[in-house]
Amino acid sequence: MSSSEISGVREPQPDPLKEYRFSEDAIAEMEEIATHYPERKAACLPTLWIAQREYGGYLTPPAIQEVADRLGLSFSEVEGVATFYTMYNLRKRGRHHLEVCTCLTCAVLGAYDIVHKLEHELGIHLGGTTSDGEFTLSEAECLDFCGAATVMQVGDKYFTQLTENNVMELIDQLRGSPDYTPAKLADAIVKIHVPLSSQTGGGSSKPEDLLLPAGPML
Amino acid sequence: MSDNRLTQTEPSLNPATADMINIKINGLDVQVPKNENLIESAKRVGVDVPYFCYHPRLSKGDAANCRMCLVEVGMPGPDGTIRMMPKPQAACTMPAAEGMVVQTDTPKIVKDRKGVLEFLLINHPLDCPICDRGGECPLQNNTLFYGPPTSRYIEEKRHYPKAYPISEHVVFDRERCIHCARCTRFTEDISGDAQLGFLKRGADMEVNTFADTEYRSKFSGNVIELCPVGALLSKSYRFKARPWDLHSQKSVCSKCSNGCNIKIDYRQDKIQRINARINEDVNEEWTCDRGKFGHDYVSSDNRLKTPMLKQNGEWMPISWTQAYALLAEKLKAAGSNSAGIGGAHLTNEDNFQFQKLFRKTLGSSNLDSRTDRVHGSETTLLSDRFGYHGMGNSIAQLQSFKSYLIVGSALADELPIIFLRVRKAYRFHGASVVSAISKKDSSSPNVGDFATVEMIYRPGTEIALLNGILNILFNENLLPSNPGVDLKGLQQSVSDWTPAKVEQETGVPAAHISEAAHILAAGTMALIAGKEIREHPHYETVVAALGNLMLATGNPENLNIPERVVNAQGAKDMGILPDLEPGYAPVAQLGKNAHEILESAAKGELQALWIAGEQILNTYHDKSLVRQALDQCPFVIVSELTMTETALLADLVLPAASFAEKDGTFTSCERRIQKIEKVFEISRDIKADWLIFSELAAMIDGSPIPFSAADIFTEIAAAITEYAGISYKSLGDGGVRWRSESSSTNTKIFTAIYTPPAKN
Repeated sequence: MSSSEISGVREPQPDPLKEYRFSEDAIAEMEEIATHYPERKAACLPTLWIAQREYGGYLTPPAIQEVADRLGLSFSEVEGVATFYTMYNLRKRGRHHLEVCTCLTCAVLGAYDIVHKLEHELGIHLGGTTSDGEFTLSEAECLDFCGAATVMQVGDKYFTQLTENNVMELIDQLRGSPDYTPAKLADAIVKIHVPLSSQTGGGSSKPEDLLLPAGPML
Repeated sequence: MSDNRLTQTEPSLNPATADMINIKINGLDVQVPKNENLIESAKRVGVDVPYFCYHPRLSKGDAANCRMCLVEVGMPGPDGTIRMMPKPQAACTMPAAEGMVVQTDTPKIVKDRKGVLEFLLINHPLDCPICDRGGECPLQNNTLFYGPPTSRYIEEKRHYPKAYPISEHVVFDRERCIHCARCTRFTEDISGDAQLGFLKRGADMEVNTFADTEYRSKFSGNVIELCPVGALLSKSYRFKARPWDLHSQKSVCSKCSNGCNIKIDYRQDKIQRINARINEDVNEEWTCDRGKFGHDYVSSDNRLKTPMLKQNGEWMPISWTQAYALLAEKLKAAGSNSAGIGGAHLTNEDNFQFQKLFRKTLGSSNLDSRTDRVHGSETTLLSDRFGYHGMGNSIAQLQSFKSYLIVGSALADELPIIFLRVRKAYRFHGASVVSAISKKDSSSPNVGDFATVEMIYRPGTEIALLNGILNILFNENLLPSNPGVDLKGLQQSVSDWTPAKVEQETGVPAAHISEAAHILAAGTMALIAGKEIREHPHYETVVAALGNLMLATGNPENLNIPERVVNAQGAKDMGILPDLEPGYAPVAQLGKNAHEILESAAKGELQALWIAGEQILNTYHDKSLVRQALDQCPFVIVSELTMTETALLADLVLPAASFAEKDGTFTSCERRIQKIEKVFEISRDIKADWLIFSELAAMIDGSPIPFSAADIFTEIAAAITEYAGISYKSLGDGGVRWRSESSSTNTKIFTAIYTPPAKN
């Protein structure tokens, strides 16, 4: 039955009592994305990215509820999606999420030396976050940038040709920087879904720059 | 919630209209409906295909994930030779096609099944000795018949907390879960609350509720029965019995008027658990939580085991001989100045003897089984106009309409099985639902979850709302061109109920009313009215207005005002009414209705009042009147299971048998007569109500005492035209529905005069 018939698709109704955090721009983005698919359910993944951006880089239960309410899905269904994919953060990350590639090429070129160096210098283990909330350290599977190994992803950018010796220099530059955050990554991914003509803002990322190595830093 | 109905084909048990095709299963030729899944096809020739996740009533969305039902499938090529598919196929999702060849027992399949089971058992804790499912577990059975004898797995298994409570009734043993998705599909497809889902992935995958919240559902008990392992368990039944130690008796649920077929599993004269019994016409295979977990009162320690007499404010136990002597003396003295209330919770046989005691032996027609409302002769309101009582449709029919109007009913609470049928119509048959209720139902699940339009009206403004809908239907020419009824008068009477005026009166936005009108006019429509209508102060007028809408839209046979209490329909059939004898024959001398009985008792005019199995203090709206009546009446008899609040106000309390301790029949809201059977006896001094009434009548005027409930049923069938031709034996397991004999529809349009509710 098509949704245009009178039999009626009831529009998803956000509960007025709940405190939602999607901005008007974010809602416009979501509605734009939803038009790309035959049913709203299909917009779940991009909407979760919007939520990850709007909720500061990670998905809290209220964030999942907001996505479910806005798309007319059940909470558990959206939670199932959010917990299935590893790029959705379910816990708060540091301001910069350091994801060091430890797949073959990077590992051969000393990725674990970098990991150990970071663990030692930042005083955290893999998966941990520094007490000042600045850095979270994790391992990543192949980041598809073997030509410039060793690679580390921080937020929406790659940093390449890292060594044990130059990585702390990068960390010093990152400390306190408002860029390269998980929310920026989420924003950049949202922007991929929204055609340029209808981008209304909500973030400053340009999709064509996503995950390109950040040039001037090193 | 938005539209989350299924776009795929419905899971159908009886694809009666499908084309038949020829396939070959294990060398046997068989004709099956086209596109039937191969598990069902194999059942036709008695070939067993093992499975866990497949369920005929659930959608196949997430099915084929247990991989247990693998079979080898081949199709004929252009030259007629059979080419087997290179890999085994899941029989549960493989549709049958012409010429298909299926092999279920080749060495390859035997090996595949062993492999699948070995994988499923990797993380399964194999704590069968302390598992409630042990002995009736599909995983145990399939391992026995198809599994490997040993496991090669030596690593550590997953560990989770045992018996983690996820709801009031259900505990979850996550270790045992094999991820079949039956429970998650149940909450999405059937109950509609969609509370269970799969979280995470791979070896960490688990069933859970959103953010570890409580699993709140009115149908949570069904997932226990659906679970093919012992992962979802009943909190109350846990560690109570081994399945092979239980005795099982067929029965009918007594918690509401839907008449779900159940199995009572009992041990040591105690109900251990209640499971659903399949009846395609009633509950299919579902139960609600109220029915599944609500029967502990039967084996409660508080059960009355002897008659109790109040003397000088003190309760003292007396023998039945003393009780009968006292009853005979008092009732004989009271004669026609006696009254009986109740019967909605009793069986038809109890009720038949109840009215016989009062009408024949005592000469009083002061009988009423309707205590949840005040009204006149509403019983005939529907039958005079439309030719049926209570419900125009059967429960099973209620899944096949194009649109539904649910008025004044928290349907999932009041009539859970009818709710499931409506939900099924929405989910699998593309129906649209309009809900109109005065107070938004926020419990889960409810009709509002999937209603296209939900109209919350001010209490008491139903008629204004119905007039508003009719007004739009007339003005926009949405009604069928040839209604067979003269609607001019009706059109005239609703002409000034413009959407704006209705909005002002009812508080429902005009746009919603208009949308509702369009939906209701779109095709065959069924109307289900609930508690708010039945308790309406202007009940008769509202029913007239509902009838007008149904006549105007061309659906006069689809009006349903179902009774809510288990045998309220049967009590009316048996003539527990002040104005109608059994079979709805008018009485010679009109008796008092429940309200009048209570009023005259409160004035001290009644000499004896018998309250049979009715907690009238809770069910009647005016509590102070009830208290006064029970206080002022010189002799109040209550037959009850326990010392209820009502019983405490009586003078004599008689220990009555519960539905598990007697034989008899209940008549459900759709007029289906179903048998209940005696399961056990708690005490010899607890008597079935029909026996109490019969023995007492015998003492007073020597009427013969029937031997059994079956005897009384024979008498009923002979006395009542509606039950004629039905024998106790012919009721069988599924019951028999009695039909109203009059099929002619009186197409009278009543003017529904709107009385605005009192403003406070």
